Amino acid sequence: MSDQELQVNIIAELKTVIDPDLHKDIVSLGFVKNMEVKDGNVKFQVELTTPACPVKEQLKTECETKVSAVKGVKSVDVEMTAEVRAAEHSQPILTNVKNIIAVASGKGGVGKSTVSVNLAMALQMSGAKVGLMDADIYGPSIPKMLGIPITPPKGGADNKFFPHEQYGLKVVSAAFLQKEGVPLMLRGPMLGGIIQQFLQNVEWGELDYLVIDLPPGTGDVQLTLTQRAPISGAVVVTTPQEVSLIDAEKGVRMFESVKVPLLGIVENMSYFICDGCDKKHHIFKSGGGNALAEKFKIPFLTDIPLVSAVVEGGDKGVPIIMADPSSPATKAYTKLAGQVASQLSIIHADKDKPASTFELNWEG
Amino acid sequence: MPEEKSSKSANPAPKNIKQIDPTNLGITWTDGHESVYKVRHLRESCPCANCIDEWTGVKRLDPNSIPENIRPTKLHSVGLYAIQFSWSDGHDTGLYSHDLMRKLCQCIECQ
Ligand SMILES: Nc1ncnc2c1ncn2[C@@H]1O[C@H](COP(=O)(O)OP(=O)(O)OP(=O)(O)O)[C@@H](O)[C@H]1O
Ligand SMILES: [Mg+2]
Repeated sequence: MSDQELQVNIIAELKTVIDPDLHKDIVSLGFVKNMEVKDGNVKFQVELTTPACPVKEQLKTECETKVSAVKGVKSVDVEMTAEVRAAEHSQPILTNVKNIIAVASGKGGVGKSTVSVNLAMALQMSGAKVGLMDADIYGPSIPKMLGIPITPPKGGADNKFFPHEQYGLKVVSAAFLQKEGVPLMLRGPMLGGIIQQFLQNVEWGELDYLVIDLPPGTGDVQLTLTQRAPISGAVVVTTPQEVSLIDAEKGVRMFESVKVPLLGIVENMSYFICDGCDKKHHIFKSGGGNALAEKFKIPFLTDIPLVSAVVEGGDKGVPIIMADPSSPATKAYTKLAGQVASQLSIIHADKDKPASTFELNWEG
Repeated sequence: MPEEKSSKSANPAPKNIKQIDPTNLGITWTDGHESVYKVRHLRESCPCANCIDEWTGVKRLDPNSIPENIRPTKLHSVGLYAIQFSWSDGHDTGLYSHDLMRKLCQCIECQ
């Protein structure tokens, strides 16, 4: 059989490899790239829509196994790559940012900032370019959680400024805009002014994902941000307690009212794993996050255990996901990142998706 | 990923928005529905606080006060949930949510 005929057979075989998120085969999706067949030796790339794809290894193995089984194939070399798809929007802000993820909670103190930090880190560690915006202007906590000293941001041209960089993440926070409680860049501005600055004046460069840590609650600042920023999707964090769930529901409704797609619900401090055993101890009534997700027909992304090392990581400025790769919390955050990235890919693949932002000048 | 759920919201949203002619706006919706709007009808239906009494929901705008040849000058999206119109009479405070736009559709099927 000629190499050409062989290639036809290989492609036919790859058409049986289905992306479980997009429900289509990887050939039709255009993921198979640069195929070379020489004397039965096969080489190609599979380009996924996110480096954080949770089924990357599974897809790779399936491609290898299936292609190896094709008659005439001597060797298979599959390289997994990724090109993050961009959410479309034509607003003149954040134009180099492909996806904007808002992390929200109804109630304060549920672990939203910790989720934002570890989610951003997990995406970054998968190979994506990631920014983190601390939009909690009342109580900015991201710099501390990432161990970034408070220094004013480096200014650029036209009132723009550069984000701080730490562990490969680009970070902006209201904490940087003040020194000993005195605003540096903005004198007596309203909070909305800072948000506007964050949306318009940051030199992010190219980003695959921008994670926004929203302030807790569903007030004006949250609403302003969700209306003004071209947010690709929102993650709502809750704890298992009823009071938290009730407020999380308000958060979900807020995003629904402004038509921001909900990527899903995260239940934090869901269960406790003690040092002595591997058993999950459900201290609180569990399953509330899942029930909330079902009620609104949105994905339940993951639950995250209560682990004391998470607190230490936050206090020391080294997120758990970097400090301890084997922690059950690290596994949960990594899973979360995979789910979030998949949900975004699903949204982009949706052909019936609504018109993104537009402007129309009336003629005549 | 195992979840089969979609994060799409249930209500249809505009997929394509275009000017048909000087007095008609067309919207194709995500569920396939096609709407055609007389721009004057849209101006008359402005939901802003000047045109509708916030408390009673009673219309305050007198349709006769709208110029004969009313046209939009510009329209643009607001977030992912609404459309804002600027009108030739200078009025531009109305935010038309997608849900409202859908309700305003005057095709035989909708009315
Ligand atoms: N999975 C977890 N296990 C143990 N502690 C956690 C976990 N997640 C968060 N925490 C701790 O709970 C506290 C609150 O977390 P965090 O600051 O992230 O919450 P938040 O929702 O951002 O709060 P705020 O409303 O003040 O912004 C912190 O001390 C954090 O270290
Ligand atoms: Mg916080």
